[in-house]
Amino acid sequence: MATFWICFLAFPLVVFKINANTRSLDTRWDRLYILAGSVFVLTFIWRFLLKRRSFDRLTKVVNEPHGSAPKPTWLTRLAKSRQRGRLLAVVLLSMCVLPFLSNPYMVNIVTSALIYVTLGLGLNVVVGVSGLLNLGYVAFYAIGAYTYALLGYYFGLSFWVCLPLGAIFSTLLGLLLGLPIIRLSGDYLAIVTLSFGEITRLVLTNLDFTRGPRGISNIKPPSFFGLNLNGTPKQFLIETVGFHPDMDLNRVFIYFIILAVVVLTIICVYRLENSRLGRAWLALREDEIACQAMGINRTRAKLTAFALGSTWAGLAGVVFASQITFINPASFSFMESIMILSIVVLGGMDSIPGVIIGAAVLILLPEQLRFFSDYRMLIFGALMVVMMVFRPGGLIKSVREVYIHQASDSKPEPRPVVTALSTMEQGAEDD
Amino acid sequence: MSSFMLELAQVHSAYGNVEALKGVDLNLSEGEIVALLGANGAGKTTTLASVTGLVSPRSGRIDFEGQSILGARPEYLVSQGLIMVPEGRRIFPGLSVLENLRMGAFLRNDKAGVEADLDYVFNLFPILATRAKQTGGTLSGGEQQMLAISRALMGRPRLLLLDEPSLGLAPLVIRNIFDTIRKINIDQKTTILLVEQNANLALNLVHRAYIMTTGRITLSGTAAELLNDESVRQAYLGG
Repeated sequence: MATFWICFLAFPLVVFKINANTRSLDTRWDRLYILAGSVFVLTFIWRFLLKRRSFDRLTKVVNEPHGSAPKPTWLTRLAKSRQRGRLLAVVLLSMCVLPFLSNPYMVNIVTSALIYVTLGLGLNVVVGVSGLLNLGYVAFYAIGAYTYALLGYYFGLSFWVCLPLGAIFSTLLGLLLGLPIIRLSGDYLAIVTLSFGEITRLVLTNLDFTRGPRGISNIKPPSFFGLNLNGTPKQFLIETVGFHPDMDLNRVFIYFIILAVVVLTIICVYRLENSRLGRAWLALREDEIACQAMGINRTRAKLTAFALGSTWAGLAGVVFASQITFINPASFSFMESIMILSIVVLGGMDSIPGVIIGAAVLILLPEQLRFFSDYRMLIFGALMVVMMVFRPGGLIKSVREVYIHQASDSKPEPRPVVTALSTMEQGAEDD
Repeated sequence: MSSFMLELAQVHSAYGNVEALKGVDLNLSEGEIVALLGANGAGKTTTLASVTGLVSPRSGRIDFEGQSILGARPEYLVSQGLIMVPEGRRIFPGLSVLENLRMGAFLRNDKAGVEADLDYVFNLFPILATRAKQTGGTLSGGEQQMLAISRALMGRPRLLLLDEPSLGLAPLVIRNIFDTIRKINIDQKTTILLVEQNANLALNLVHRAYIMTTGRITLSGTAAELLNDESVRQAYLGG
């Protein structure tokens, strides 16, 4: 059924092809058969997965009537296993070694992936943890990038001065924008942030001192204590560790900078999430009125989330500008915001490993699958739909620190206080 | 200076053009349990909201321990020990029971005191201890109400405002909760203002009560007086 429907819809697209040379319409019937066949097979897989899922649910309900924690899959286990520390060390080490073993192309795309990890983690604070839908996140990213580009262009300020400045500027802008709009919620907030992102792009396009759509080129790479990295140090590396001769050491340096930024971000976000402020954000996402009854200053908590999220975008922006050495407003379109949001949603709201995996999947995969580049957006959309059906919590669901409380001396016996309450089965709390 | 813990005098509050409170006078002394009774739309919840700063009154006077708290911010009031259990429980469904309780102690910095209070509420409602790791959303209605009350207790209230704790619960569960409210009042010397529709139940618990109709206090007195009052029996106790 679905097969026929899709064939009917896609018919004009697939079968007819305008031949520009002969000004005639070619028909390509063979393609229709391929499409019909593949859709047919896909429908079966889809049905099978859906069925398996509902079956899983049923068995779960039968086995665990109390609906306790869902069975940990290997992904969630990965996220909270005891060997997490060791795993992290291995990942970090391999990331450090990577530029010395691979080619310049690889270093470049991993750098952009890391930039997106930073962006994703920053947006995660706003969207994932605090539940404020920000569709104009790219604006803060642009502020960071333009801070470095403009200050370098007009005043010759160095990367290291601009890195904190970019973060500060975007934080300030976040505060400024946050103040009026933080009272909005849900759809309204999304619309305002969306238009803010577009306004920022348009302003950058039309202002003179930002050089409009021509953008700013020749942005300097960050300096390494004033040393020319591509001179003697590179020769040395080529001779000792078999360094790739085409590699630009400045790029490798940027790679390490963004790696450091990512590590810093992870530490900060992790600490934040498990702090008092982080808990306030979580609670705010759940119930605002109850939060007020707990004595949480609603406006202040939301505003800090909004502004702190922008800080990371600013940092990422500065690094981005130094990486690609040329920026113009087109780099900061609405699609970028969507991209970052997709990373957060796909990876798993409010889960740090999730965001990292999400960024890796969404940035690295398209690079590897250049073959499909025409259909990238289509695949994206399909991926999102599949994700929402099968793993609505994202690739890696968030696992929060468990707060424990040791009952001091008088451990209360779980005696049945009220019969009406003990109808529900007790137990199944331990894991 | 009055000796009342909480005193409302001629409080007027409105939502837009609709006047919800038309001059409410009400007072509580330390250690009392007082009920605020009335039908739907009488203004009970608005009265509480005016006290906790969620609604700002148009005019009138609200004093907490001799200090005006008119227009004070909710978080300031919580820090002063004036804590509300909101209507409809409003626990955090995605947080565990323990996290919910810790949210209640959000403004406190004394770790040992918080742990001691956790013990206290777990003794008060042992069922919560067995459910400590579950998320709030998986609890039954009665357990959620217990959690909401416990969460408020975690803030060490000196005046506890309870908004319809019996809403949508089974009679047996209500009795348990009301017994606990009395216990909290005796154990902790917590002053309690209870907003209820279930007049019969409330009058058997409280010392005094106020009855509200359409934005005004129409009757007040001790619980015994009101229970024997013919008009109250007619209107609220079913003859």
